[in-house]
Amino acid sequence: MKTAQELRAGNVINVSGEPMVILKAEYSRSGRNGSVVKMKMKNLLTSSAKEWVYAADDKFEQIILDRKEVTYSYFADPMYVFMDGEYNQYEIEAECMGDALNYIEDGMPCEVVFYNDKAISVELPNTIVRQVIYTEPAVRGDTSGKVMKPAKLNTGFELPVSAFIEIGDKIEIDTRTNEFKKRAN
Amino acid sequence: MRNNSCDIFCAVVDNYGDIGVCWRLARQLANEHGVSVRLWVDDLRSFGKLCLELDAELDEQRCRGVEVLKWDADSFSPHPQPLSRLRARGVADLVIEAFACRLPQSYVEAMAAREPKPVWLNLEYLSAEEWVEGCHKLASPHPTLPLTKYFFFPGFTEKTGGLLLERDLLERRDAFQSDGLAQEKYWRSLGVPERVAGELRVSMFSYENEAMEELLRVWARGTQPVTTLLPEGRSLPQVAAFFGHAAGQAGDTWQRGKLRVHVLPFVEQECYDELLWACDVNFVRGEDSCVRAQWAAKPFIWHIYPQHDGVHLEKLEALRVRYTEGLQSEIAQAVGDLWLAWNGGQDIALAWPRFVTQCEVLKAHGAEWARRLAANNLALNLLDFYRQLA
Repeated sequence: MKTAQELRAGNVINVSGEPMVILKAEYSRSGRNGSVVKMKMKNLLTSSAKEWVYAADDKFEQIILDRKEVTYSYFADPMYVFMDGEYNQYEIEAECMGDALNYIEDGMPCEVVFYNDKAISVELPNTIVRQVIYTEPAVRGDTSGKVMKPAKLNTGFELPVSAFIEIGDKIEIDTRTNEFKKRAN
Repeated sequence: MRNNSCDIFCAVVDNYGDIGVCWRLARQLANEHGVSVRLWVDDLRSFGKLCLELDAELDEQRCRGVEVLKWDADSFSPHPQPLSRLRARGVADLVIEAFACRLPQSYVEAMAAREPKPVWLNLEYLSAEEWVEGCHKLASPHPTLPLTKYFFFPGFTEKTGGLLLERDLLERRDAFQSDGLAQEKYWRSLGVPERVAGELRVSMFSYENEAMEELLRVWARGTQPVTTLLPEGRSLPQVAAFFGHAAGQAGDTWQRGKLRVHVLPFVEQECYDELLWACDVNFVRGEDSCVRAQWAAKPFIWHIYPQHDGVHLEKLEALRVRYTEGLQSEIAQAVGDLWLAWNGGQDIALAWPRFVTQCEVLKAHGAEWARRLAANNLALNLLDFYRQLA
């Protein structure tokens, strides 16, 4: 069982007997120590999308799906196409890509996830390295790493990074949380 | 939904906040809308402070039009006696779990088995943050049972569930605030002397607060007489210590410099409204008293429930932004600075004088703010939503 708080885009859960793939999960703190998770999900059987909300500690049965190592090949609107080592191609709808869209690059290794032999989502390595293509100059004097500023990647995705990061720097990112981890060597 | 039934489940987490909201909602649904309300509460002792006629020893009783029942929120499976009460009474048409308290599994299963299904709402905490609008009224299908819960968020915009407001509250407030005799009678009932010339009268309801001692010192050393009305509770030991006492109790009066403090008994909800209406400035804490201070339309300072990772400061700022909209920037800044200082952020000795000089402007602003908020009534919105779903 996984709590709503632990679920990520691409995870598949059982909701009242229906297999639901999570397209987006937004976590918010309500009051006291309560939290809620707003999730956009798609029913794998009917393809209908829903927006639901759960308490962060609500528990779900996660459906474990087949996976295959692939590399990203190309985008054929609206499908992202991946290829395995035996040159088999797998297509995934853009809507099912979740946060992977923030980081996807040609030739990128990742895992395609299957439900009833259909490719339904893609999962990235937990940590990836990406180059910053734009960020404001560093604030003089602050080297603590606690002050954050926005930085843009070549996919157009922006995330907060430490103030000492400069254009051209490579950074490590946690793809599960979309958080900056550190400057890559 | 006259003649319909409603079960409200409340787990008391922090003395008065949760039960304060639930008790208010229960009475409104029962007395203003004719709903047959059962209020399930796990801590009748805290509840008893808000409603003096309640007998904390009784597991079942009727109080001001509401059936009050004891349940055990710590256990997913209630003890045999409460469980039998739940079974005997059956599932209501409308089920409200307050602040995501967990309902007994047996009750949830009974809801799933009932035809027609009840309308199941989770009444969430109040927040002025924007994300609340995107979650209000969203469905939350049960992970395993054929049952859907809906999240209902109170709030400050028309895209949220609004705020709890009794039908005649603002009329009663206006009548009280324009009736000097009624106010004198109220102060006498509390044993509080009449105002001296130029006095500022302040109600003080807060959690333990690092800024308390400094604020009391500022008031004591100031030029304006300040009378502080302090209900018994969590901040009393701090205030007593400032005056050199190990403890305090209702009826105590302490004076230091220009500051005089009267300790009040913990008052019932209705009596607390009158305190807010009668004072010039109100310090409030948590959710329920913060809303009541906004209905009082007097300048107020909010001590928000502290959360360990500082997320409460985002919620404080979200309300400040909404509340001060339309004010001149220096006045909005004065409000923000004092709220932040009271919540551990800045020097309260600097923030207080800038705030108090704006009281007249804030009083007029508070009246307009309350008038705008009154258009979005939580109980009415909740019943409308029930009718849509039922």
